[in-house]
Amino acid sequence: MSVDAAELNEKLHRKDIRDRWFLSAPALILIGVASVGPLLIVLLYSFLAPGNYGDVKWAFSTDGWFNVFFSRDIFDDTVSLADAHFTIFWRSIRLALATTVLCLIFGFPTAYFIATRPPQNRSIWLFLITIPFWTNMLIRAFAIQEVIRGEGLINTLLIKLGIIQAPIQMLFTDFAILLGMTYVHLPLMVLPLYASLEKLDFRLIEAAYDLYASRFNVLMKVIVPLVKPGIIAGSILVFIPALSSYVIPRVLGGGKNLMIGNLIELQFGQGRNWPLGAALSVTLVVIVLFAMLYYVRNAGKSGGSAHG
Amino acid sequence: MDQSSATASHGGAIGMHGIKKWFGNFQAVNDVSLEIRSNEFFTLLGPSGCGKTTLLRMIAGFELPSEGSIRLDGAEIAHLMPNQRPVNTVFQNYALFPHLTVAENIGFGLKMLGKPKAEIEAVVAEMLKLVHLEARGNNLVTQLSGGQQQRVALARALAPRPKVLLLDEPLSALDLKLRKSMQIELKRLQAETGITFVFVTHDQEEALTMSDRIAVMSQGEVRQVGAPWEIYDRPAERFVADFIGETNFIDVDVVSVGTDRALVRLPSGAEIPATFPAGTQPSGKVTIVIRPEHASATASAATAPLSGTIHDIVYLGTDTHLHVRLADGSSFMIRLQNARSGPCGYSVGEEIGIEISDDVAQILRD
Repeated sequence: MSVDAAELNEKLHRKDIRDRWFLSAPALILIGVASVGPLLIVLLYSFLAPGNYGDVKWAFSTDGWFNVFFSRDIFDDTVSLADAHFTIFWRSIRLALATTVLCLIFGFPTAYFIATRPPQNRSIWLFLITIPFWTNMLIRAFAIQEVIRGEGLINTLLIKLGIIQAPIQMLFTDFAILLGMTYVHLPLMVLPLYASLEKLDFRLIEAAYDLYASRFNVLMKVIVPLVKPGIIAGSILVFIPALSSYVIPRVLGGGKNLMIGNLIELQFGQGRNWPLGAALSVTLVVIVLFAMLYYVRNAGKSGGSAHG
Repeated sequence: MDQSSATASHGGAIGMHGIKKWFGNFQAVNDVSLEIRSNEFFTLLGPSGCGKTTLLRMIAGFELPSEGSIRLDGAEIAHLMPNQRPVNTVFQNYALFPHLTVAENIGFGLKMLGKPKAEIEAVVAEMLKLVHLEARGNNLVTQLSGGQQQRVALARALAPRPKVLLLDEPLSALDLKLRKSMQIELKRLQAETGITFVFVTHDQEEALTMSDRIAVMSQGEVRQVGAPWEIYDRPAERFVADFIGETNFIDVDVVSVGTDRALVRLPSGAEIPATFPAGTQPSGKVTIVIRPEHASATASAATAPLSGTIHDIVYLGTDTHLHVRLADGSSFMIRLQNARSGPCGYSVGEEIGIEISDDVAQILRD
């Protein structure tokens, strides 16, 4: 009797595991085909030699990786560090960080505003936030260009009102890039923040005020710690696409300063150096991975200190 | 803000005058004036929606009165932010900070007041001891039981030594047994700390057990203020008599009025003295209340002031309720204490007389 029971249990257990694999198959196939597969191809390409007109030659080569970090002088073959690449990487990381911070600064009050509206009105506000997603990013970038260019909406208006005499140069500046980046990525910050804020028990804010907390302390000691998951999620969602973005810097920054995205695009386009492009892409993935690990571990740590 | 700790042993007195509060078209509080004395356990009692919580939230500063003034020890506070009032609140669902430990929760107010670390630690230790949670200081509040969370909420609100502690139905989420022990606990804490407690509840028994004085509220107005015995034995109007305990209403005629007693004629023709609310002049047809335990049954139906037929007997363990049909068709309830074991000795259908104890009838304001 007990032997039968053990056997039955064993069978059920095996069936359970089979079922689990079966049920998660769609997700696994999707991840494999859309994420892991392409990444492996890129990794493979980074170790091949460049073809004459783009593409790759099927020959093992570490030139792609070599060129990520070093540059060889065309005339005397001296090897030096690829300063240009480091500058571009550092510039992109800085831009992504700035975008994340700006999105947080503008996204937090927005999400807070929506979360404190009457429940029946919240979906309308969320709907308004997501409307820009309906339009292609390139078109939105050109739309911003139209607003801030020399003869654009803002300058025309300011001149007509007599506030300024000559148009202010806004297009093709760092301001334009940050404006565009913040605008494009803002919904990615607002939505997860809203999801956290919506679950916030607003009686806790009353309790904090009751216990002599100032507005600033209510924000820093109660609201921020409680919506931290939303802040982390939003920051990751903004930082990653911001790091690899190249449309906005090009259209609104005038392409004067290359970003990682532009650099990679260049290798696959005019540069015709696919292995280098692939190696740069893998480098980017590694940077993102480290950034995320660092962020999540840090967030976990400070969350943990509250337990101590 | 600092005065909250400067006057540690002194509970604040609150004076409210002409308080009105509208939410849109709905008037939650209608012209309430109350004097809450220093060091007293004051209860706002009433059914849900009567405005008691709104009144409490106005003392705390979460709502501003539409009209009227709120004074704390003579100083106007109605316009101050909650963080500027030396008043702390125990919230109905505790509202403990889930990301902080028990000790951090309790120390939150002192930390916000900018007290030195050593002082905070000392007060937190003292508070943990006061609410018997010494071993729980480093636990997250989410790891505590409902009763323990309740005590943390209490300790958190007491730690900054407020002049007035506001309690918004703090016991309603607890089970009966825990609620009983917390009632005694609260009473002890109030006596030990000397802080004025303003307690909001819809539970009349809770109010009677704990309070020094009770304000009974209904539909945004204060109906009666008094000591528990006054509220229970001398209800001023029908709502108060009905809301608190069980009672018998009898329509009577006023025969004569003295300084503090009136003589009233029962439907049977018998005349008994009755007290009446101060400031009223009863005349003509009035209603008196007689509590069920203030009446007793007697076999001699002919000589008793009231008589009737028993139509129901309800056994309750400590008491037995006799429901008697009077001559005019109305029902009258008598509560007999079960001093002896066994059945009460009466039976349904029996004709009995009802004796009324001396000085228990109270005339209601119309």
